[in-house]
Amino acid sequence: MSNRSEDAAAARRWRACACTLFVAAGLLAARPAPADGSAAAAEEFRSVDQDVQALKKQLIDLNRDLFRLEEELLYPASTQVAVFLSVDVGTFFALDSVTLSLDDKEVANYLYTEREVKALHRGGVQKLFLGNLKAGEHEIVATFTGKGPHERDYRRGTTLRFEKTLGAKYLELRISDREASLQPEFVVRQWE
Amino acid sequence: MPRTDHYARARRRALIETMMLLAAMAAGVVAWPLAAKAGPAPGSAAPDFALKGTDGRNLRLSEHRGDVVVLSFWASWCGPCRETLAELRELPSRGGDTGPVVLGVNVDGDAARAASVAASLGLDYPTLVDDRQTVGRLYDVERLPLTLLLDRDGVVRGAWSSKEPPGESLVRRIEELNK
Repeated sequence: MSNRSEDAAAARRWRACACTLFVAAGLLAARPAPADGSAAAAEEFRSVDQDVQALKKQLIDLNRDLFRLEEELLYPASTQVAVFLSVDVGTFFALDSVTLSLDDKEVANYLYTEREVKALHRGGVQKLFLGNLKAGEHEIVATFTGKGPHERDYRRGTTLRFEKTLGAKYLELRISDREASLQPEFVVRQWE
Repeated sequence: MPRTDHYARARRRALIETMMLLAAMAAGVVAWPLAAKAGPAPGSAAPDFALKGTDGRNLRLSEHRGDVVVLSFWASWCGPCRETLAELRELPSRGGDTGPVVLGVNVDGDAARAASVAASLGLDYPTLVDDRQTVGRLYDVERLPLTLLLDRDGVVRGAWSSKEPPGESLVRRIEELNK
């Protein structure tokens, strides 16, 4: 009986030694090789830099996936409604702010800085509102304020009644120039 | 062991526990206003906002990402606010090229009055008008003046809300951020 227990103890000791040796060998293998001159150091530095860049890219991808997942969870396609704003030319109107109401409830009030207006003039499209609506008929009212022709204060509203179906609904507020009357034009249109 | 000793010990322990509870409550009552009413906590991201200035231009806080920003909330009826606003006037020039961007946020909601106070104090930095008190609520402004220091990433690095202007302590914190 005592022999058997001594054998077991010896076996445990051997196993422990073997494990220690494995770990030590692993650590030695994983240890970076000593730099041999500046070329090796530069190579190592480049490799670390590549690793960091790859890690950054992974982080950006992960962030994008999380953002998409969050949007899908918070705004499922069956109830999602998104409102975008774009400016086409816009020489007759300098945008200052937009107030957006859905079914008589104010859902967005956005004040535009010079930089944002420039971005819109360069073709940028702004996601002004993202929310949920149940299926059925709804009304959207957008009120634009800014400077109109001859630097006059300008305030104009535009309305659209639309049908929310089971799919996501995308609406676009578009500011363009009406050359014939030298006035700005405000349109709400639906994307299918 | 006599029964009277047992009761005496229990009474003493109950008394000590009650005293400790009362002390903790008193500490909470004293600390709560300090913790709850000094705007966003240092280390937290400053909420973004856009407001119209008294010069008619719109300004968005996030467009100053990359600059050290001093944000000062004030109202025209607040006497100590005027001292703070006047003191902040000197800040951009003291820092040279790395001087902070100073933004005053008037929470009265009266643009004409805010412009008049700014002109009387000779403020050359933007005065923004929080006409719907949305930014005041966003920043939990319950005491005026409230001065916040934001670093280049838009994180709150200091908050001053006493009647005295922030003075040298604000200058030192700005220098630390510029190092």
